[in-house]
Amino acid sequence: MSEQAKAIDENPFSGEQFMNAEKKMNLLVEQSLKNYKQPQPAVFTKLSEVTKGMASGIIKWGRTNSMWPLQFGLACCAIELMDFGASRIDAERKGYLLFRATPRQCDVMLVAGWVTKSMIPRIKRLYEQMASPRYVIAYGECATCGGPWWESYNIIKGVDQVIPVDVYVAGCPPRPENLFAALMKLQDKVSGKIAGNTERNLSETNRGAEGKRL
Amino acid sequence: MAVMRINVGPIHPSTHGVLRLVVDVDGDTIVNVEPHIGFLHRGVEKLCETRMYMQNPSYFEKLDYISPMSWDDLYVAAVEEAMGVQVKEPAQYARVVLLEFQRIANHLLWIGTLCNDIGQMFTVFMWCFRERAKVLKLLENATGGRMFYNYMRVGGLQRPLPPYFKEMALELTSYLKVKVSEYKDVLDANGVFMERLEGVGVLSRKDAINYGVTGPVLRASGVDEDVRKSHPYYIYDKLDFNVVTRSGEDSYSRYRVRYEEIFQSIRIIEQALDLMPEGDMVGQPVKLIGPPAKPDTVITRRELPKGEGLIYMVPDKQKPFRLSIRAPGFVNLAALPKMCEGAKFADLFAILGSLDIVFGETDR
Repeated sequence: MSEQAKAIDENPFSGEQFMNAEKKMNLLVEQSLKNYKQPQPAVFTKLSEVTKGMASGIIKWGRTNSMWPLQFGLACCAIELMDFGASRIDAERKGYLLFRATPRQCDVMLVAGWVTKSMIPRIKRLYEQMASPRYVIAYGECATCGGPWWESYNIIKGVDQVIPVDVYVAGCPPRPENLFAALMKLQDKVSGKIAGNTERNLSETNRGAEGKRL
Repeated sequence: MAVMRINVGPIHPSTHGVLRLVVDVDGDTIVNVEPHIGFLHRGVEKLCETRMYMQNPSYFEKLDYISPMSWDDLYVAAVEEAMGVQVKEPAQYARVVLLEFQRIANHLLWIGTLCNDIGQMFTVFMWCFRERAKVLKLLENATGGRMFYNYMRVGGLQRPLPPYFKEMALELTSYLKVKVSEYKDVLDANGVFMERLEGVGVLSRKDAINYGVTGPVLRASGVDEDVRKSHPYYIYDKLDFNVVTRSGEDSYSRYRVRYEEIFQSIRIIEQALDLMPEGDMVGQPVKLIGPPAKPDTVITRRELPKGEGLIYMVPDKQKPFRLSIRAPGFVNLAALPKMCEGAKFADLFAILGSLDIVFGETDR
């Protein structure tokens, strides 16, 4: 155990250390992950592995081809989101079915618009209400990096400071065709076609143990 | 029965943005509605004071992202007034044509989302977006931007309209006349649509004036007020068009006012295209904006699709010293509690939808 963790253990609720309670959680999670071993059932091991292998392929195929987006628009880009749902693009042919109004039925969250400080708790709650596996697309400049509101006192610089993001779409606002391309890219990621780093992107401050926990 | 308090939003599929409503209900009847706004606040007025004059239009376009060009025009008009610049005559005609196309796009999107709110589901929504896509295509051909145009410059436009614009616009207006008149046949024959809107959300003529609502909401309460007629700007005094008013005072009247305004806009466009003179319509380059000729306050009014927009500006040498915005959506939303008095909870979104609010301009 590191010195920092020891100090927190001795007096967890004082001064600066109280502020670092989240870091302590991360340390504990990291340690428990190191010591954890997958329990192996004695009998039927081989059979269960076979079925698991078959099932995972089917599940992956199903997940890839029925992405249900959350109906969640914030600002300008939400109008392009409506255009995406309308007849010109016809997104259903690729499996992006109805825009659902409740996060519990959704797979992918499209953050379209600038995120104010008063929206952060709401976005976090919506993300946590979605069933796992859940994906996030940051649509437009504002959700990607703050965009034209970089100097504003009330806008955070990208939604990746709050929740992990899978695909970024640049543009102000991006055309609906770009969203279609982003969703196809996300499909590639879900189906495992894209190799490389599969961890989701969080901004510098939140990277590290947080990413693993999520 | 005791009064129960229900929280709606801020993320709700039919709030047209991020609006939180705290609703007190007695059984199924609304006692009081309290709108909580500010979820999209970003301090536009303050940001504008840190930018030079012609860096600001892109902020104004993001105030109302359903009709960006109207706000673009309003801001540039305020700068023109401060600078003492006259708009070139061909550019005045071109601006009127573009602004009216923007008004059509705004009203089409509004009809689509209203039908979504009151349970017509996707049919009319799809139709409206089909027509709106054609209008946006035309504006994109003219300006180069699909949603945010940034096309107005001091004294004119960024670049001349393309040579095929007139032909393409006339083709589009004849298409819109046929297609939009289909909506009325479908919607007025629909019992659900009429039941949900007629007699719902009544705002009397007296209340409408007292609350200061503007635009189609005011005209649906029987007040004949339109900035284009009462304080004509550009070439509106040369054109022949009617201010659409209805005396129904309910949500259905608001739908009819906007619906008829689409046809009035088409009339304006056809006349303006007919009268448009040949000539230079390019405005001043962005860099060449000098110190204001009129250093005291400037107040500019325009009839936006959602109501009356107003900019109060105290100009400084290279950037506005103080800038204040009167957004129509903000004022119209204030009348929501009055309109909801005694209504059923299910009608709340039929009333809210009929206001045509957008939270970019409400929260600023």
